[in-house]
Order: sequence, then C-alpha cells, then structure tokens
Amino acid sequence: MARTITMEVLRYRPEQDAGPVFQTYEVPFTDDMSVLQGLLHIKDELDETLSFRWSCRMAICGSCGMMINGKPALSCKTFLRDLAPGPVRIEALNHFPIERDLVVVMEDFIDKLERIQPYIIPKEPRTLEQGEYLQTPAQLEKYEQFSSCINCLLCYAACPQYGLNPDFVGPGALALLHRYNADSRDGGAAQRMELVAAEEGVFNCTAVGYCSEVCPKHVDPANAVNQNKTTAAADYFLGFLKPKGSRT
Amino acid sequence: MSKRRPYVRPMAGWWRKNPFFVEYMIHEGSALFVAAYGVVLLVGLVCLAQGEAAWNGWLAAMKHPLALLFHLAVLAMISYHSWSWFKIMPKTMPPLVIGGKRVAPAMITGAGLAATVVASLILLGLVWGMTR
Amino acid sequence: MEVYEADVVIVGAGGAGLRAAIAVAESDPALKIALVSKVYPMRSHTVAAEGGSAGVVQSHDSFEHHFNDTVSGGDWLCEQDVVDYFVAQCPEEMVQLEHWGCPWSRKPDGHVNVRAFGGMRIERTWFAADKTGFHMLHTLFQTSIKYPSIKRFDEYFCADLIVEDGRAQGVAVIEIASGEFTLIEAGAVIFATGGAGRVFRENTNGGIVTGDGMALAYRHGVPLRDMEFVQYHPTCMPGTGLLFTEACRGEGGFLLNKDGYRYLQDYGLGPAEPEPRNKAMELGPRDRLSQAFWHEQQKGRTIDGPQGAVVHLDLRHLGEKRLRERLPQIYELAEEFLGVDPALTPIPVRPAVHYTMGGILVDGRCASPLPGLYAAGECSSVGIHGANRLGSNSLAELCVFGKVAGLEAAAFAKSATRRDSATLLKQAQKVEQDARALLTRTDGTERIAQLRREMATTMESGCGIYRLADTMQAACDTLDELRQRFRNVGIQDKSSVWNNNWLLTIELGFQLDVAQAMACSALNRKESRGAHQRLDGFEQRDDEHFLKHSLAHYDGAGPPRIGYGDVKITHSRPAVRAYGAAGEKAEKLAKEAGNG
Repeated sequence: MARTITMEVLRYRPEQDAGPVFQTYEVPFTDDMSVLQGLLHIKDELDETLSFRWSCRMAICGSCGMMINGKPALSCKTFLRDLAPGPVRIEALNHFPIERDLVVVMEDFIDKLERIQPYIIPKEPRTLEQGEYLQTPAQLEKYEQFSSCINCLLCYAACPQYGLNPDFVGPGALALLHRYNADSRDGGAAQRMELVAAEEGVFNCTAVGYCSEVCPKHVDPANAVNQNKTTAAADYFLGFLKPKGSRT
Repeated sequence: MSKRRPYVRPMAGWWRKNPFFVEYMIHEGSALFVAAYGVVLLVGLVCLAQGEAAWNGWLAAMKHPLALLFHLAVLAMISYHSWSWFKIMPKTMPPLVIGGKRVAPAMITGAGLAATVVASLILLGLVWGMTR
Repeated sequence: MEVYEADVVIVGAGGAGLRAAIAVAESDPALKIALVSKVYPMRSHTVAAEGGSAGVVQSHDSFEHHFNDTVSGGDWLCEQDVVDYFVAQCPEEMVQLEHWGCPWSRKPDGHVNVRAFGGMRIERTWFAADKTGFHMLHTLFQTSIKYPSIKRFDEYFCADLIVEDGRAQGVAVIEIASGEFTLIEAGAVIFATGGAGRVFRENTNGGIVTGDGMALAYRHGVPLRDMEFVQYHPTCMPGTGLLFTEACRGEGGFLLNKDGYRYLQDYGLGPAEPEPRNKAMELGPRDRLSQAFWHEQQKGRTIDGPQGAVVHLDLRHLGEKRLRERLPQIYELAEEFLGVDPALTPIPVRPAVHYTMGGILVDGRCASPLPGLYAAGECSSVGIHGANRLGSNSLAELCVFGKVAGLEAAAFAKSATRRDSATLLKQAQKVEQDARALLTRTDGTERIAQLRREMATTMESGCGIYRLADTMQAACDTLDELRQRFRNVGIQDKSSVWNNNWLLTIELGFQLDVAQAMACSALNRKESRGAHQRLDGFEQRDDEHFLKHSLAHYDGAGPPRIGYGDVKITHSRPAVRAYGAAGEKAEKLAKEAGNG
C-alpha cells in the first residue's frame, strides 16, 4: 500500500555539529506528495528538530528552495513520485552559507535587492488625481516576465560565478533591475546602469545559463543579465562620442 | 551572545557536481580548439609572407596524417562549440518580435545553426571552385 | 536584551503592514518605523492571493454598487459607514499601486483592465494575470525599500505585545536566526499579522497563517469580533486545499457535478447561461457556492476522488490560449500538482477554508479599544466583510486600511507621552523568561503535531460549511481540553539558532486560543447568516436577535466570554440576499419601490 522513500537530508546544527552531515529518514509517500510534504512528515512524525523554510505550498512565496538530488528546486513543486525509488538527497541551497539544516543565510540577496533601486523612478511624475499611467499590453510584455521573480534564490544556487565571487549582484537581482529599466513608466535606467557596469555587475556573468534553466517562474534571468551587457557596452562606447563633461 | 555560526561550503570541484556545468566547461574548453586553429592559420600566413619555400613547407606539414587528424578533431570541436553557442544565444539577446509574436528560442537556435551550415557550404563551394 | 526605540512598530510585513509602513514614512520622514515580520516580507501570505482587487473604475459602475455588493454579500453584518469609506478609497489605492509599478493587466488602449468576480454586479476587479497578490506584495515591498525611515526586522518573531499604563507601547520579538530577544519600544503598535486559516485542516493558507496578532491582542483584552465567520472558498485542490482562483469562474469557468450538470442552478443561482453573468451561477458569492457543494454531496451527485468528494471546474471551453494569458498560474498548478491539462480535462475541486472574516476589534480608523494598538488586514475586523467577504475586497482592504492604520498610528505616536523604558524592559524580560521556560522544560509530554492535528480535525467537524450544536459543542470542549494539554507540551529541539520547533509551539498556543474564540462564537450564534450556516433549527437569519457582531473576550484558561455589539446600519436595511434571476428581480422591484 503505502510506499516509502529514503530521504537523505543535510543537517547542520551550529551548536552541536562541526560541519554538515547527512541524516537519513524513511518516509511513507503517496503519488500526490511533494518533497516539502515529505519534509513536513519528518518534522511532524520523526524529528521535530529539522529546520527548513516553507509557507504557501504552491510555488509563489519562494521560501522552500533547496538542492534536490543536486539541483536547485522548490520542494513544494517537486514530487516524490518522480524521484522514486530514491534515495532523495536534500541539501540547503548552494552558494549560500548554511544557517542551520536547510535554512540558508539570505541577507546578502536582500542587500543586493536594496541596491538595485527596485522601485519606479518616474519618468514623468503623475499625481493620483491624474489616474493611472497608460501602458499598452505590448509595453507590459517588455518587463512582465522579469517581474515574475519570486526571490526563491534558485538562480543564485545555479550560478557558479556567484558561488566563486559573492560580490556579483547575481541573476535574480539583475533581472529585477532590468524589470524596472524596461518598464515604460520608469526613468531610472541611467541611475541603475552604474551598478550594471560596475565590477560586481553583469560582466561577472559568463553565460552559463543554468539560472534560467532552474527558474520556476520562467523569468529567464540570464536573458536580463546578457541584455544588460549589451546595454552597458553600448553606453561605454557611446560615452566617448558625447561631448566632454557630459559623462558622469 | 549569539550562537550563530553560518557554514560556508567550499567551491572546489564545483563544475564536476552537475552535468549542466560539465557541459558548460566542455563548451568553454572547445573554444581552445577554435583558438588553436586560428594559430595554425596565423602560422600559415607568416609562412606565406616569408616566401615560397616556407609556404610550401607549411602546405606539406598540413598534409601530414597527424595534421589531418588534428583538423578532424578541430572540426568536431568547432561544430560542438557552434552548436552549444547557438543554444545559449536566445538567452543573450533581447526578445525578437516578428509580426507581433515573440520568436521561440528553438527557432533562434535553429536559424543560427542553419546560417552556420549555409555559410560553411558557400565557403566550401568557393574554395572548391578556386582550387579546381 | 537589545532595545530598539521606534515611533511606530508594525508587526507583519504583508500587504497591510507594508502599506502601513509606507504611509507612516510618507506622513513624516522623521518617524522611526520598525517593521517586524516572522518571514521575509515577500513570503507573506498576501503573495498567494490570485484573482484581484476591487476598485470602481467603469463609468456604469458606482460606489453605491460596490457598497451594495459588499453589504449584501456580508449578509448585512457590515459596518456601513466603514464600507462607505472603503469603497470610496479603493480606486485611489489601486492607482497608487499602479504608480508604484504594479503590473496590472491592461486593455489594448493602455488603461487598466478589470474582470468579473463572484457576487459582483459590475466588473471592478483589478488584476495582474492570476498573480495579483504576488504582484501587489512585491510592488509594496520593493517600494518600501525607498524609505530610509523603515527599519525592517526580517525573520523576527513577535512573542508578545507590551502593554503598560493601559497603552500598547511596544513588542518583544525573537530574532529567529539567533533565538535572541529584542524589545522594540514604540509610541504606537500596528498589528498586520494576517488570518488564522491554519486552525483548519483543509485550507488555502500558507503555513505562517496562524493568527498570531489576533491571539496577542485577544490575550491583552481586546475582543475578537465575528470570529465564527470563516470563509470556505468553493474551488480548491482536494487534499492540499490549494486555491483555484475565483477568476477561473470570472473568466467563464463552469462547475459541474458527476453528471456534467451545472448544479448551481438548483440553488437559486440560475438560470444557467453559456456566458458568465454577474451575480449568477458560478459568479454567485462564495458562501452560497460552498453550501451548494455540500448539498450536492448529500445527494450523492459529487465525484469520489482519492482525497474526498469533488466537483469539476470546467475551463475547457475557454481554450488554451486564453487560459495561458489570463490564468497562467492556475494552468501550471493544475498541470504540475494534479497532472491535469485544464484545456483538455476539468479540474477536480472542493471547498476549503480560505479567509477569517472576523478579527481584532477596531473602529473605522483601525484603532482597537486598547489605546495605541491598531490593526489592519485579515487580522482585523474593521467591519467591511460582515458574515461573508466579497471576493477581491481583501486585497483592496490591505491598501485602504493599511494606509489608515499607518496614518492614525503615526498621529497617535506623535502625541504619545514619554515611555518608561525601565518598566517596558522588565515586561519584555518576563516575556523572554516565559518563552525560554517553554523551551527548556524537559517534563513536557504532549507533541505539537498531535495537538495541531486534533485541533484541525475538531474545527473541521465543528465549524465547517454547515454546523450543528452538538459538533460545535464538541469542538468547544475539545479545544478546552487541548488548551489544558498544551500546558504540558514538550519541545524536542533545545537549541537557539533557527529553532522553529520552539516558534511553532508558541504559534500553536496562538492557534488554540483563536480556534476557541471561533468555535465558541459559532456555538452562541443561534441563526444562519453568511458563512455561518446551521442545520439544527436555526436555518434562518434572525435579525431580531442576531443582527449583532459577536465579541469574544479572553478569559484566561477558560473559554471566552461571548458578548455582542451593535451593527452600524446607515442606509441599507437588511433584505433577502438573492442572486441569479431572483436577484435581478429583487433589484428591479427595489428600484421601482424607490422611484414610487
């Protein structure tokens, strides 16, 4: 009747473990169970001390990203039936420090998000009485995909350049930066380009492309980053053509 | 006192841990063959400048079985490089919109590969026509 | 213990909390704002809202229509003056979000598009595909980064409210990463902690929706109002309860029973027409649709699935192209979670708990009876939802009342007298002591998972779509017992770093208190109204005795005291809630009567 699957979970409890170690659990599962539900079974029935982040269960809150059999994935939309007969290996997201068990330290991403100025810097300020900005479906389509980022950090776990150089702004934040630059209401592109072209900016990317493969929301961050390489390069060379003193 | 002690995992050997990264490294590695072939052509050009004897020497060297083997290997690697290069090309360019519809990534890759094949055939035809 | 001095502290960084923070920051940049959230803001449950947010925009629509849909949808248990204010503010708040970058779906001419929603006379639901809550939350979060006066405490868990001198003066919080306590002193406190749907078994809510703010306010003497009204959303995934938005029906989806019959026409919602008609059939209100499911199940006309009875949500006739454009997330959910292609196969659905209409008692300006404490969003009962919330009013509520709470709290904080920091610290130390005692005790034998399961089971049987006195009484008794047993709870994890075993235990304490307020309020309401439907001799609405808000007062270890408060009726007298053809007829008659 109920099948079981072996889940090997990377544990790290800073107060007792010198470094991460795998712990194995036998979990009964049905065809509709996600990896997250497997972990919840462990937490409720087998081991209350296992820590991991989760909330919505439907791939929109972005909490439950982890390495599943070596690949970054959302545990709520990865199903145990697809991983049977197992074993399933679960680890904290790559390239981030492990706070504990499957929980990573994500302050670095938040800092980066704050640095990209992720808000509309109006091209033409408008009062509320004037109503909404007009934006055609075609203009919406230019940035909509990049606005779908749920900040799950899978792309960072997929990016070896971020792993090698944590200063790199990284795929997710750069996709969001591009989202604002590409918005017809926004006029802040020039301010954001400084970071795009900076040492920690887009030129860290070597077009591995794995970030876009693992993105659960089809944001295609690699595309955003590489479009900005072109823009940054064009800015740089066009800068020489401008009259002296106009470059900031 | 905080008991936090975040653990940073090492990056050593990162590219061996995921088939996608292995493929990426092969792609990057295949670029070395492109460079190598460039060097061979450059040497040929230098020989041509040095006079007929040097040029003939280079031509003879090119006919050596080892040189042929080298060319076959280079051809294979350059083909792989082109294929994998066009595969990531859609990710590196702004969305291509034709007739109000976004062109699918597979179409862009396909078009790139087709252009490569056509250009190669034209070049082959030209060289064949000149040396006939 | 660390101490942070703020002017306004906001607990909860979902839609309402973020909107409040921005309102405070904009009202006076000199005010220091502490924004506390037990998760990173973008994880807040606002993220999961799908369908859209209400705001009158069309020329043939009016505030009056929005008011009427809201008040009749709420079965006249709404504060009508507050609803008046609400509907008038909605459009401006939606435009404000647009200015902040929310990617609203557009019409070809570039204006914002609106869609139909259940229980609505005219289309007024603003939407961003079927990820409206997600886009609103991220827009608000990212915009909040603009304001340097907002200091975020991400992944800090609020352990208690600090009340001194009869006034809310701060909160004691736990940094989840370290397990260390911080006292945040403030001139005013805003709770924006969301609902409590996780006290039920099958629900659409995220794991974090545990009624924290409700329980804390309640324990400090603020009544919880109208807690018996819990909304079942009619179209959810069997087993997990994940939501298939009402927009599925707004776009023209059908609900079919096992015979492929659009059964809603048998429940006063007809006639069945091929095109969606507002306030009829699948676009009836949520309570009625969930109730109709129950009746179909009684008649044996539902379909047996592995996770219980289901009906079919049929979207096939909309075609793949339209589904991908208008309902992309729904498409993916059906494909990935159920293995169903909605363009080819109907989706199996059943009702699940979705929303808590009741909450912390506040007035129309978001002020609770406890001076200095404000509340906004699902955790509050500002009075617009009544006995059944109208779909797409909750997202609008976050903005409208998030802003009000922010402005009112800012004004209060500015006029607040100086705090006695030493006394506040002493209180916070007591909170820490108690929480640590819970953690370090070794003699506890009860397991939280077991208690939580029993709570959810009893809530489902006692406070379901239809209710009976004996099962409600059983729920009250069980909850009483569970609260006793909770005192003997044991926590396996004794560590400090990211110990959510500890925090889940504190949350369960919150949940049990809130669940008890729900069950006891339900038992005492001897009528049927909105989402509270009885089958034991109280099948009718009883305006004479129960056109009243219920008020659950905390009473320590025992069950709550249930009292009642008046409902503010300004210009809409209670009438029959009629939908479909009957509704149109009633409206016409009312109009003629009004003209005559």
